[in-house]
Amino acid sequence: MKSRYIAYFLLLLVAVSCEPKIDEFTPSAGSADFSRYVSLGNSLTAGYADGALYTSGQSFSYANIIAGQLALAGGGNFVQPVVTNEDGLLPGKLKLGISTNCLGVSGLGPVSAGGSPTGLPGAVAPVGYSVHNFGVPGAKSYHLVAPGYGNPAGLLTNPMTANPYFVRFASSPTTTVVADAMAAGPTFFSLWIGNNDVLGYSTTGGAGDVITGQDLFSGALTGIVNAMTSTGAKGFIANIPDVTSVPFFTTIPYNGLVLTQQAQVDALNQAYGSGLLGINFVLGQNPFVISDPTSPNGIGMRQLEQGELVLLTLPQDSIRCAGWGSQKAIPGYYILDASEINAVKIATQAFNQTLSNLADSKGLAYVDANSFMAKAKTGLVYDGIKFSVTYVTGGIFSLDGIHLSPRGNAVIANYFIDAINEKYGSGVPHVNVGDYPGIVFP
Amino acid sequence: MYICSYLHSNSFFNQTEQTMRKLITLLVVFTTLYNGVFAGGYQVGLHGQKQIGMGLVGTSLSLDASSMFYNPGGLSFMKPSFSFSAGVSPIRSFTIYRKNEPSTYTAMTENPLGTPFYFYGAAKISDRFSAGLAVNTPYGNSLSWGKTWDGRYLIQDLSLRAIFFQPTVSFKVNDMIGIGVGFVYATGKFDLTKALPVAGADGDGNVNLNGSTAEMGFNAGVMIKPVENLSIGVDFRSKIMMDVEGADATFSVPASLAGNFPADNKFSTSLPLPANLDLGVSYNVTEDLMLALSLNYVFWSVYDSLIFDFETNTPALPDSRNPRLYENKLIVRVGGEYTLNEKLAFRAGGYYDPTPVNEDYFSPETPSLNNLGLTLGLSYNPIEKLSIDLSFLYIMGMEADKQYTPDNFGGTFKSRVYIPGIGLTYNF
Repeated sequence: MKSRYIAYFLLLLVAVSCEPKIDEFTPSAGSADFSRYVSLGNSLTAGYADGALYTSGQSFSYANIIAGQLALAGGGNFVQPVVTNEDGLLPGKLKLGISTNCLGVSGLGPVSAGGSPTGLPGAVAPVGYSVHNFGVPGAKSYHLVAPGYGNPAGLLTNPMTANPYFVRFASSPTTTVVADAMAAGPTFFSLWIGNNDVLGYSTTGGAGDVITGQDLFSGALTGIVNAMTSTGAKGFIANIPDVTSVPFFTTIPYNGLVLTQQAQVDALNQAYGSGLLGINFVLGQNPFVISDPTSPNGIGMRQLEQGELVLLTLPQDSIRCAGWGSQKAIPGYYILDASEINAVKIATQAFNQTLSNLADSKGLAYVDANSFMAKAKTGLVYDGIKFSVTYVTGGIFSLDGIHLSPRGNAVIANYFIDAINEKYGSGVPHVNVGDYPGIVFP
Repeated sequence: MYICSYLHSNSFFNQTEQTMRKLITLLVVFTTLYNGVFAGGYQVGLHGQKQIGMGLVGTSLSLDASSMFYNPGGLSFMKPSFSFSAGVSPIRSFTIYRKNEPSTYTAMTENPLGTPFYFYGAAKISDRFSAGLAVNTPYGNSLSWGKTWDGRYLIQDLSLRAIFFQPTVSFKVNDMIGIGVGFVYATGKFDLTKALPVAGADGDGNVNLNGSTAEMGFNAGVMIKPVENLSIGVDFRSKIMMDVEGADATFSVPASLAGNFPADNKFSTSLPLPANLDLGVSYNVTEDLMLALSLNYVFWSVYDSLIFDFETNTPALPDSRNPRLYENKLIVRVGGEYTLNEKLAFRAGGYYDPTPVNEDYFSPETPSLNNLGLTLGLSYNPIEKLSIDLSFLYIMGMEADKQYTPDNFGGTFKSRVYIPGIGLTYNF
């Protein structure tokens, strides 16, 4: 009798010892049709990172990440022009490593990843299949509608009229990126182009490229968007972030010349006419001396002003050991000066207005990547991972200081997904940012 | 398990939950008058199988030596000359998490079995004096979200346990009033592991923080039996601030960052064990049936933030300050006991225990929700002096959206806890 009660009691324990359940989130497509997604853009879309296009970096392209999430809401297969070399298609990949500078001091920083990049001609061998990711590293707006941009013969002309990355997967020598993208039959597309229209100018200190003219930009974009929407496809257009806020331009401070001895300070002041030329030095941090043919002192040299930018490519050993920035002026192609910065900002603003107008007129989602980057400047946090735009430690940018890290791509992919969901009433799920690799430290 | 799927398919618990929500709304309206409710957080209320069986009421009861914890004032009303009681309540708990929308991510804890226990031994020194020793575990938390879950940079594993040693004296002023006080010597240890978002070739870095300490406090109570069959108890257990000094912070990070995270760092921290003020009333409705109500006010607001003060700081390793902003809460408990015959007694009860955790600072390290507890109990006396006590406590942590805003981490949480308990009481 008593033991029966105890037995009932024990049975009760077993009966209710169940794990809890929770309703799952159900992805949905809303008013969009994600069955065939194609992405158009440049290196950011291709998954270029750390100064190269390589296997894992490509697999973490924001386009591939988004495609994976769209697949949960009715999306189909997404084919990238797969790079099968982790060391890169072309040389240039960086990794974090220890290097020793001219003063014999060792430190952690970006070093060549080495390995065996594919190189030419293997790098431009056709992949032999049609793709959905039309991100072409180096492409500017008008390149997407330029016939012959994938013609191998155009790689040998001077200047080059083709792009090795498009040569890999162009369907014919005469085709355009947009024509091939349309041939893929998109129901949904993304377009993030225009960065290189200002970036090529910026990364050469205003010396090696020109900013695309507004008419050329508008004409190209109108052509692209008209073509992409001609069969009723929906999608999103992302605007151009302020390129001068990326680590490539913000890592080396304008006043990065550090003087520690009064004798140095005195010698430099004397050499520059004891202040008569407007060039002055003190103990501690000093603005670099740069070359500027229009400098008011007439000697073609001046000190940098606050707000002017030094490029990450500046050879720092030349600063430390060869007198650059102090005894010798830093060449202008390592500097983005105030007027150049202004030109970039004005063009970016105008381009973004064009992009916004086009998105509105075609009823497409418009993603303000520029304001996102502005937010990133003050710091972001997701699931306990803190991000900033600081070089290396900030986590958003890869080691080239321009392109995104896998985690940075995940963050921007979620931001794009938010814009898609808002515009089309869909429920495309986010990715977990923490599932993607950050910067790998040795 | 078949029964599980049956219960889920019938959404039995959901319906129960909905009904309970309605009841609780009424209850809350009532309890707001008392300015809050009780426990949650990392407080554990498992200190006597008989009390557990009755919704964890105990403040107004003087059943046996377990009064030393619930109300030392009740010990002097103990009938036998000697009373020994011991028990254990293995906790099987699950918390499930669904990430903020839009996300298909879910995770569930794989918590190790928690094992709160108690031991009480008390003696009647004279007709009016009683004394004894209580050893129990009023605070603890045993949690594992796993190494790879999405909140790993907030918490992976946590083990928190305090053991209280409480020598107690109790004095019966007259037949109506008993008072008692216990001195509490509390030992505590904790062990916390979380991932660090600095990756090397083999993945995330991590940090383990572990330390222990011993502190002191007290437990004082008054038991009043104004008329026959009615008992009123008031008990206050002091706050104990567990200050940990020189504890070990062990970092595992890529070699190139070792300078930023000194490998054998030390730290100090402080974790409050909040004070409790309990008021209980019980009434013998008939010779066989006793009903009890208990109000437990927990002074949780003492848990303002969790600070890890590292001995060696670097630019990458500042002191870690984590807001908690807990709120004081009132827990309402009701329970009853039905004595079938000399050998058998049955118990049942329930309680509502609202979360003390601030909605915006809800860390998955202590995923304490609004809890509804339902209990059953049974005692079997094979001989007059010995009682075998069984209890079962089922806690529903109600589904709610919670955020930990400093880390931009949040989602929907829900929990289920199953606590069978067994104890022995020997009186002579």
